[in-house]
Amino acid sequence: MMKEGPDTIIERFHSISENPQEYAKSRQGKGQLLAGYMCTHVPEEILYAAGIIPVRILSSHVSQAMTRSYMHETYCSFSHDCAYQGLAHNYDFLDLIVTSSSCIHMGEAFNVWVRFAGFQEKSFLIPYPHIIETKPAAAFMAASFEEFKQFLEKFVKKSITDGDIERAIRVCNQTRRLLKRLWEFLRSESSPITGPEVATVTLASQLMDKEEYNPMLEQLIQSLEVEPGKAPSGVRLMVTGGACDDPGIFDLIEHLNYSAKLIFIDSCTATRYFWFEVPENRSDKLQAIAEGYIRRIPCPAKDNVPGTGEKKRFRFIQQFIEEFRPDGVVFLYQRFCSPQPMDVVALKPILDKLGIPSTELELDTTVPITQFRTQLEALVEVIKGVTP
Amino acid sequence: MKILAGLDVGHVNTKAILMKGQEILGYSTVPTGYDVVAAAQTALRHALDTVGVSRGGLAGIVTTGIFRERMKEPPLDITRTVADYVADAKGASFLSRNSRTVIDIGGNIQKAIRYDQNGNTLDVIQNDKCADGLGIFYTTMAKAIGISEQEMSELALQSTQKVSVAIHCAASAESEAIDLMCQGIDIADVAEAISRFIAERVAAMCTTMSLEKEIVVAGGLAKSKALMKHLPSLIEQDVSILSFPEYVGAIGAVMSY
Amino acid sequence: MSGDASTNKRLDWTRAEVIVAGVDIGAVSSKAVILLDGQPCAFSQVTTRRPKESSFKAITAALAKTPLKLEDIHHVVATGRGRTQVPFARKTITEIVCGAAGAVHIWGPTVRTVLDAGGQSCKVIHCTEKGRATAFLWNDKCAAGIGRSIETFADLVKKELTEIGNIALQTDQFSKLSDFCAVYAQSEALDLIRSKVPLEQVVAAYHYAMAKRISTLVARSGVKKDFVIIGGLAKNPGIIGWVEGILKVSRLANKPEWDPQFIVALGAALIADAFYRQQQ
Repeated sequence: MMKEGPDTIIERFHSISENPQEYAKSRQGKGQLLAGYMCTHVPEEILYAAGIIPVRILSSHVSQAMTRSYMHETYCSFSHDCAYQGLAHNYDFLDLIVTSSSCIHMGEAFNVWVRFAGFQEKSFLIPYPHIIETKPAAAFMAASFEEFKQFLEKFVKKSITDGDIERAIRVCNQTRRLLKRLWEFLRSESSPITGPEVATVTLASQLMDKEEYNPMLEQLIQSLEVEPGKAPSGVRLMVTGGACDDPGIFDLIEHLNYSAKLIFIDSCTATRYFWFEVPENRSDKLQAIAEGYIRRIPCPAKDNVPGTGEKKRFRFIQQFIEEFRPDGVVFLYQRFCSPQPMDVVALKPILDKLGIPSTELELDTTVPITQFRTQLEALVEVIKGVTP
Repeated sequence: MKILAGLDVGHVNTKAILMKGQEILGYSTVPTGYDVVAAAQTALRHALDTVGVSRGGLAGIVTTGIFRERMKEPPLDITRTVADYVADAKGASFLSRNSRTVIDIGGNIQKAIRYDQNGNTLDVIQNDKCADGLGIFYTTMAKAIGISEQEMSELALQSTQKVSVAIHCAASAESEAIDLMCQGIDIADVAEAISRFIAERVAAMCTTMSLEKEIVVAGGLAKSKALMKHLPSLIEQDVSILSFPEYVGAIGAVMSY
Repeated sequence: MSGDASTNKRLDWTRAEVIVAGVDIGAVSSKAVILLDGQPCAFSQVTTRRPKESSFKAITAALAKTPLKLEDIHHVVATGRGRTQVPFARKTITEIVCGAAGAVHIWGPTVRTVLDAGGQSCKVIHCTEKGRATAFLWNDKCAAGIGRSIETFADLVKKELTEIGNIALQTDQFSKLSDFCAVYAQSEALDLIRSKVPLEQVVAAYHYAMAKRISTLVARSGVKKDFVIIGGLAKNPGIIGWVEGILKVSRLANKPEWDPQFIVALGAALIADAFYRQQQ
C-alpha cells in the first residue's frame, strides 16, 4: 500500500471535521449505533463497550436567534449553537444523546434536545461531581457510571462485560497516547506539523470511530517522523481556555502581519480531552475509569481543591509553559462563560510573574476578526518590541 | 363629520395623524427628543398645517405610545390615552380588515399583537430587553455609513455575499458590522447582514406567540424592503406591509376615540 | 489644534529632511497627522465611512493645508481597526503600540497607564517610560460601542455631543442605570424620560453608567500612575469626571494643544519617523 504523505492524511481528518454528520451517517449506514455527547466528561469507554460510537456535538456556526426563545440570552453561544443543532434536526439520525452534568449552559442545551428536539426517549444524563478532588468523588462517579452502564445494556439489549470495557479502555487510551505524541512535535522549534493542523487532527478524534481513527493517526505520526521540520518562527503562542471548534481562530494566529506559531492549546477540544490515561487491567473497570477521568487536566467548572481553593489546572499549565515555551498566551473563551474567565483572573498574575504577556479573545458564533487580529498583533508587538 | 387627531409618542419618533371618519387627512412625524410635549405639539401642528385645519377644528385628540401619559399635561388638552398594543391592533385592523396579527417594529421596542375581526386585542408579546433599540441601531448604522435609511435598504438588496453580525444585541451587531467593513467586506453585504440580524430578532420574538393569519407589519422598519425580505421565511409565514406603517398606532388611537 | 484640519504654519516644509504621516482609521473617525522632522505640521479628522475611502479623505485633508503632496511623504504608518485598508501605508502597527508612543511623547516619561476610550472600543495600555507597550487589555464584547452609544444618546435627547458631557456634570442626584450594558442603559434612560426626570439627571445617570463600565475594565487591568486618557471620550468631562471618581485615580490633564483623539495617529507618525531614520 502506498504510504500517504502527512498533508493527505491531515486533509482527510480536516474533511471529516468539516462534515461530522456525513461521517457519522456513513458509520450508521454500516450498522453501527451512534451516541452524541455534549461534554467530554462523558465516559466514552462505556459507550464503546456497548458497541456505540460516541460523536461530539459541536457548533454549526450558523448565526441564528431562534434559540433565544428556548434558552436565556446570556448563555454562551456555543450552548445556543448546540441547542440549535437539535432544533434544526441536524442530528435526528443519532440513536442516543448523552451528557455529564458539568456547566449550566451545556446542561440547558442538552435539555433543549430532550424536551424540544425529540430526544426524550433516547437521552441520558450522567450525574458527575463538580468537586472532584475529594474522597467520595471516585466512588460517586463509579456508581454513576454503573447506572449508565445498566441503562445502555437495556438500550442495546445486550450485557456489557468487563472484557468489553477493558477493550474499550485500551482503544481510548491508544487514542490518548497517539495524540500526546502528536502534540509533542510542537515542542520543537521546527516542527513538521503546525499547531492549527494538530488542532484539526485532534478535533477529528472526537468525531470519529476511534478504531478507524487510531491507525490513521499512527500513519500520520510515522510520516511526520521522517518529514523535515518547518521553518522556526520568532514568536511562540499558547492558547488556553474553553471549547473552540473554529479553525479560523487558529489559522489567524499563524497568519498575522508577523510570524507567529501556535504551539499549544489547553482546551477540551484539544489537550484537555486526552492528556490522561485510564488505568488498565484493573478488576473494577468502572472505578478505573473514574480514577482516570479524575486525573484529567481539569475543566474550570470542575477545578477546586476543597480547603485550599487551589486550581489543579494551573499546575498543568505551568508544566506546559515549561515544556512548550510560549512567548505569549492567548486566553480563548466563550462570551458569557463564567468558569473560564474566572480562571483567567487567577491565572494572569501567574503569567505576569513569569513575564509572559497575554490577551483575551471572546469567542462567539460570529467573531470580530479585525479586532482579534489587532489584539494578536499587539501581543506580538509587545513581545517582540517591533518599534525602533 | 368630526376631525380627530391621533398622537403616537414613541421612544424615537412622534407621529400625528388627522382623520375624518375613515378618511386620512394629513400626518406628520417629528423626532421625540427630550421634550416630549413639545414634540407632540410640533407633530400635531405640522399635521394640522398640511390640512389647513386649526386646533379649534379638532373634535378630540387621543394619544398612545410610550410617552402617552405625559400628553395629559397642558396645553395639549387631550381626550384620552390608549395603550400602544390596543392602538396597534385597532390601527392594523382598520388598515387591513382581513388581518389578525400585527408585528410592530418600532424604534426601541418591537411587539406582536393578535386581535379579532374588530381589532380587539387577544394576545400580545414584546421583545426581551436584549433586543431593545433595534430601530435606533438601524438609524445609527445608516448614519455611520453615511447614507439614508432608504439607501441602506436598497444597498442591502444588492448584496452578493452572505456575512453575519453578532446576534446578541444591537451593540454587538454594530461592533461586528464595523469589523466587517474594516475587513474590506462590501457595504452592501454589511447592510444586508444588519437587516437580516434585525429580522432574526423579530422572528425570535414571534416564536413565543402563535401568529394568526393574515399577518401584517407596522412601524418605521416595515419600510425596509431588505428587512421584509427575510421576515416571512424566518417566521415561516407570509406577511404584508401595511400602508402608513409608522402611523398604525396613531390611527388606532383615533379609532379608540 | 482642533477641528477638521489644521497646520503649523511656522514649519517650513521645503527645509524638512524627514516627512512622515501617521493615519489612525478608527471605527468612528479617521485621523491623519503629518510630521516634519519630528514636529507636528498638519492634522485632520474625518468621519469614518468606508475605511479605504476615509483613509484617503483624512490624508488629503491634512495635505490640503500644506503645499505637500502624498508622494512627498517618506513613510506612512497606519493604525486603528481599519489599518489594513490604507493602500498608501508602508507599515501597519497596532493602536496599542501607537497609543503608548503618542501618550508618552505628549505627557512625558512618567506615564504608565493609558486608557484609550474611543467610539467602539476601550483599551487599557501599560507602558514604560520610553513609551513601549508592555501589556494591554481590550474591552469585552459587552463593553463595545460605549463612545458611539453616547453619540446616539445625545441624538435621542437632541443635544450636541460637545455639550452632553457638561450637562452630565450639572447634578450628582440621579438614579442608577444598568452599568454592564449600553443597550440596557439606553433603554432605561428612555424610561427615565417617560417618568419626567429632569434632563440633567438622565444625562448624568447615563454618563455614570458608561463611566462605571469603563472603570471596571481599567480596574481589571490595573492602574499605575501616571494615568492618562486618550481617544474621543477624553473630551467628555462627564465620563472623565466619573472615571476618575470611581477609580479614585486622577489622570494628567489634557494638553490644550493636543486633541486627545489625535494621539494614536501621532504615535503612528512618530513610529514612521523612527522607522524611516532607521532605514537611512
